[in-house]
Amino acid sequence: MSATGSPGPHHLVATRPAAAKAIRARQGFFSRFRMMGAVGLKMMFHSKLKLIGTLLGVVFAVVLSNQQAGTFLGLIYKNVMFVRNTDCDLWIMPRSTEVVGPGKLSTSALSQALVTKGVADAAPILIGGANVLLPNGGFQQVTLVGTKYPNYRGGPWNIVAGDRGALARPDTLIFEDSERELLGGLNLGSVREVNGRRVVVGGFTWGLIPFGPSYAFADFEVARELLKTPQDEVAFILVKLKPGADAAAVKDELSRNLPDAKVFDRKDFEASVLKFILTKTAIGITFGTSTVFGLIVGFVIVSLSMFSAVVDNIREFGTLKAIGVTNLDLSMLLFVQSVAYALLGSLVGLSLVAQMAKGIRSAKLALNTPPQLTLGTVVVMIIMCVFASSLALLRLRKVEPAMVFR
Amino acid sequence: MNAATLLPQAERVIEVRNVTKTYGSGATAFQALKGVDFPVNAGEFVMLSGPSGSGKTTLLSILGCVLTATSGHVQLMGEDISKAKEGDLPRLRRSYIGFVFQAHNLIASLTAQENVGLLLEMRGSSQSKARAEAGRLLDDVGLGDKLMSKPGDLSGGQRQRVAIARALAGSPPIILADEPTAALDAQNGLKVTETLRALAKEHGHTVVVVTHDNRIFHLADRIVHIEDGLIQEHP
Ligand SMILES: Nc1ncnc2c1ncn2[C@@H]1O[C@H](COP(=O)(O)OP(=O)(O)OP(=O)(O)O)[C@@H](O)[C@H]1O
Ligand SMILES: [Mg+2]
Repeated sequence: MSATGSPGPHHLVATRPAAAKAIRARQGFFSRFRMMGAVGLKMMFHSKLKLIGTLLGVVFAVVLSNQQAGTFLGLIYKNVMFVRNTDCDLWIMPRSTEVVGPGKLSTSALSQALVTKGVADAAPILIGGANVLLPNGGFQQVTLVGTKYPNYRGGPWNIVAGDRGALARPDTLIFEDSERELLGGLNLGSVREVNGRRVVVGGFTWGLIPFGPSYAFADFEVARELLKTPQDEVAFILVKLKPGADAAAVKDELSRNLPDAKVFDRKDFEASVLKFILTKTAIGITFGTSTVFGLIVGFVIVSLSMFSAVVDNIREFGTLKAIGVTNLDLSMLLFVQSVAYALLGSLVGLSLVAQMAKGIRSAKLALNTPPQLTLGTVVVMIIMCVFASSLALLRLRKVEPAMVFR
Repeated sequence: MNAATLLPQAERVIEVRNVTKTYGSGATAFQALKGVDFPVNAGEFVMLSGPSGSGKTTLLSILGCVLTATSGHVQLMGEDISKAKEGDLPRLRRSYIGFVFQAHNLIASLTAQENVGLLLEMRGSSQSKARAEAGRLLDDVGLGDKLMSKPGDLSGGQRQRVAIARALAGSPPIILADEPTAALDAQNGLKVTETLRALAKEHGHTVVVVTHDNRIFHLADRIVHIEDGLIQEHP
């Protein structure tokens, strides 16, 4: 034995107590999770500046992605709005039609629809671009919808001035309220020239603006004359079913008997519009890109601030390791922190988004934030923050507990 | 190895034989321990002293399972830890070791009670038991009225007392302290060391304290001197 030393004055302690024993007990998994989570949360709230920095990252991602996704959904909504509001069960349209717009369908389809079993009523509509002559000599386009008396299955809706019955008066149109200025200061009773013909303003709708020019409504026959559509052509046929009729069976029957046309129910048509927007326009990519951009920026901010919070507290983490905390324990700590950042940041971010949505609810641009988007945001933020914490975790795994002695 | 040569196995809490530690490799390699023997018996209060750079912290780190020896044998409570794998070290530390560091190294965001309770929970206590036991331990070190204080609101001596309570939490057999009085004035350093000694003796802990502080040497059962990576023989 090579170690020696001088015995101190306490060497002769009277009775020796029972020696402390090795500790074999170990905390259970869930208890560890709870404990490490609690430590993580306390650390998180201890450095307020880092907390705010990280939250800003989450809030930024929430606001930017929701604003983009909400605007996108708002635009989608505006484009399926016509489909949703139409008072019918099935749409018959030319095979090439993908969205609500002009189309050339033979009127023979109408007679076919009317004699099909289960059909209560079928009405044609016309859709086409029309030019409104402005007082200053310029033109402004509208999307003219010809809708059939007396059911007016093809609109108008959301009437804020005048009434639908006005369409029964000669050469009377209903325009979009939010476009009144654009159309040269329209008022009830204003007279304008549309496609070279004098018409009277009989009412206003609100918020009926698709991607293209705003909708204007006219009686079916007035629209036919304005659009100069041949007598045997319509854009769509709107089919209303008898109560209790089997929609799928009627749809099949119509498809079979109308080989040049296709038949959509509301869901089919909405899906078709969505598909068109996502695949045939750049809108999906534009909004998708900025949504992803928002997520990436948020990810980077959260990553860096969580990393720097770890670096700031590196000695504490070294100590935790020295006293027996494992890397798994530390990943639990970071996980709970990430989820807390995500939830707090989502709360703040989503309330900002709600304020924004209130602020910019105009006829043209509405932020559409359905509950699915809100819920999705929270989930995506949790995933984002958990991934963002991996940089911090990599650093933590490298911490040598021996550092605490230096 | 055969630990039964000098004392019955149960008595020998720390057994270190011919341990070397080399930091780095190649041209920059540095041998900090050059074949150290360091046996400590149950209940001993040993001080380890020596000049700066002599290898005190290195030896203590090996005993504390935060560092592994390059060669030689290390046994704690009869368990051979020389060949322990990296992933097994946290368990060894939880099973055997209580640390007191030079800087208190408490978690700033946790109260004194939470700092101590953390270790108790890690060692299997329920949250409520840990809280009660942490209160008792803090009372033992004279901080019964500071349970809810965070380290930032305590004096240096008080922090080091919390650190002692944490080291004792769950009653690990071995307490290792690296210059626990270095950051304290003479009076506080002495008080803290007295507290550590009294509690260790009361509960049967085996203690190794690294220190330069000759004002506390008289509290040691035995003083071991290390120089240049070797234990110095004194008659
Ligand atoms: N991680 C490391 N890498 C390289 N060399 C190291 C490392 N840690 C310690 N050393 C060297 O090993 C030797 C012993 O260091 P150690 O920290 O054990 O000394 P010490 O006796 O605790 O000194 P002090 O009284 O200053 O704390 C020193 O020369 C030191 O420079
Ligand atoms: Mg040292």
